[in-house]
Amino acid sequence: MSQKSERRGIHVDQSELLCKKGCGYYGNPAWQGFCSKCWREEYQRARQKQIQEDWALAERLQREEEAAYASSQGAQTQPTLAPFSKFEDKKTNVTTRKVTTVKKFFSPSSRAAPKKETQEAKAPSPSISRQSSVETDKVSRDFIDFLKNLQKPGRDIHKQCRVFLDTMANKKEVSAEEQSEYVQDFYQNVAEKLQVHFKGSSDRVERVMDQVEKYIMTRLYKSVFCPETTDDEKKDLAVQKRIRALHWVTLLMLCVPVNEDIPEVSDILVKAITDIIEMDSKRVPRDKLACITKCSKHIFNAIKITKKEPASADDFLPTLIYIVLKANPPRLQSNIQYITRFCNPSRLMTGEDGYYFTNLCCAVAFIEKLDAQSLNLSPEDFERYMSGQASPRRQDQDGYLSHVNNSPSLGQAYQNLEQLSGLGERQERVLEGARRLERDLIEWSDGVAREVQDILDKYPLEICPPASAIDSDNVENDRLPPPLQPQVFAG
Amino acid sequence: MSGQRVDAKVVMLGKEYVGKTSLVERYVHNRFLVGPYQNTIGAAFVAKPIHVGEKIVTLGIWDTAGSERYEAMSRIYYRGAKAAIVCYDLTDSSSFQRAKFWVKELQNCEEHCKIYLCGTKSDLVEDDRSMRKVDFHDVQDYADEIKAQLFETSSKSGHNVDELFQKVAEDYDQLYSFQQMTEEKGVDLCQKKNSTFYACCHH
Repeated sequence: MSQKSERRGIHVDQSELLCKKGCGYYGNPAWQGFCSKCWREEYQRARQKQIQEDWALAERLQREEEAAYASSQGAQTQPTLAPFSKFEDKKTNVTTRKVTTVKKFFSPSSRAAPKKETQEAKAPSPSISRQSSVETDKVSRDFIDFLKNLQKPGRDIHKQCRVFLDTMANKKEVSAEEQSEYVQDFYQNVAEKLQVHFKGSSDRVERVMDQVEKYIMTRLYKSVFCPETTDDEKKDLAVQKRIRALHWVTLLMLCVPVNEDIPEVSDILVKAITDIIEMDSKRVPRDKLACITKCSKHIFNAIKITKKEPASADDFLPTLIYIVLKANPPRLQSNIQYITRFCNPSRLMTGEDGYYFTNLCCAVAFIEKLDAQSLNLSPEDFERYMSGQASPRRQDQDGYLSHVNNSPSLGQAYQNLEQLSGLGERQERVLEGARRLERDLIEWSDGVAREVQDILDKYPLEICPPASAIDSDNVENDRLPPPLQPQVFAG
Repeated sequence: MSGQRVDAKVVMLGKEYVGKTSLVERYVHNRFLVGPYQNTIGAAFVAKPIHVGEKIVTLGIWDTAGSERYEAMSRIYYRGAKAAIVCYDLTDSSSFQRAKFWVKELQNCEEHCKIYLCGTKSDLVEDDRSMRKVDFHDVQDYADEIKAQLFETSSKSGHNVDELFQKVAEDYDQLYSFQQMTEEKGVDLCQKKNSTFYACCHH
């Protein structure tokens, strides 16, 4: 009783609080009277034991089952085959999964897949398409980097662009005009949103719009440039043929105020031609416009150098026409159509780029409609030149123009030939001089040798017998003081 | 690249040698070069910011080739222009006949384009009244008829040149703010304007 009451009281015997294992630490009823460390050991051991028991039980059951199976089937090989087939199963499973993952890999672009196929069919070589995809990737990356600076509106714009590209991918069959309208509407939507965001700072809107245009059009280029739904390609060929037929048109007929005889001017014109040809290689409408602008600036320079004055439109347009005739830029109509359809309209209609682009359109229109009157020729002459029966060059030779004037490359060739023959002459002279020098040198060395021989002959070398002793002919030896004797000083 | 933003496109139309380029040159650079090639001064495109009240309107001034051989293409030039300055030489009546041709073209193709008639070389007429070949009142009547503004300018003295371009910029600004006002009321004039943009892009 007393014990019980003691127990019921606050007093608890020290020994009861200690770990049952007697390690000296206090125990806890939650750990069945063990201390934490001993409990863990105890518990672990118990669990381990249980796991082992379970395992043993399972094994025994399996063995019994197998035995039952074997006895029912009467075949012993079956159990070994089963896991093998399972393995096979797994293998096929893996391959199918692989197939599905490959499918999955392609599926996001499956919407664009048909487009890709047509692209590849069109692409002349796989390396080119790969290169272009590299370019596309780079543009996408740049675009994302650029948008990062804009934070939230940047994300919105990116999302909008993606959605727009997806819808465009579904609208490949619509006409080029409709495609153009979609793109223009998209530009306008984005621009309006930006206008709100930047609170009307049109410079910043423009900057973002440039990037949007770059991204969108690099992506869309292949499907919307010279699409099959239009006759752009036919027009390209027509213009190309037309320009080829007009190869005989001279500077004078167009009243072009540049003088190709000035080397600086003809160099600039070559640069202008290169620029206008380069236009076809660009993808973004704005970059194409930049090529036209660069070409135009060269033309202005050429006119300025020739006339020693800045140029006006009256000088510029004929020169541009001449450059287009000389360059015969590839896919000219397609490029013009592409720019009109997909360039940001504010740039195209008002700015400086727009001015040069309009002039290019005029030049092409002029070339298409060009007739005898527009070149100040009689209709008969025009016909003869067009049919190739006559060339204006021969007539000009008789007249006031030399043939060199008409064909800058021929002139250049003549000039080069002249220079080359001049160089040949000079080289001859150098060779002649070298030979003479060689001759002189040989003569000189022969002469020297001869002279030396003469002198040697004249003054033969006489070798005197050596004197008997150094002092032998010294008579006054006796008078000399005696030679100094070395003396030793002590200390 | 040409980074400058331009609000409105202004085309210069007129026969060769009437002095379109000189006019622009005088206005933009405030100079007049005397020489055998007076008609070929200055670049063909100029972007000029002009103060209108507290705002700045940037005009993109487009010089065009006036030769008759490019007449068929002039339509491409003034496409989308907000204003056209049709020039004629006060001492050359044929140049005024050509000016009438452009006015007709503009009325047919660009109804949104405001027309400004500009008689050039007024200094020559002032020096010698017999030089005048185009009567001021005749032109004024014509201008009223086509609802155009008339200016007689001299690029040599600079007379009336600033006034002409200032007027162009003011008119544009007025029209633009009017458009904005109506836009707020719910009439989307801007939208309409842009759709005509597209229409003229596709020839």
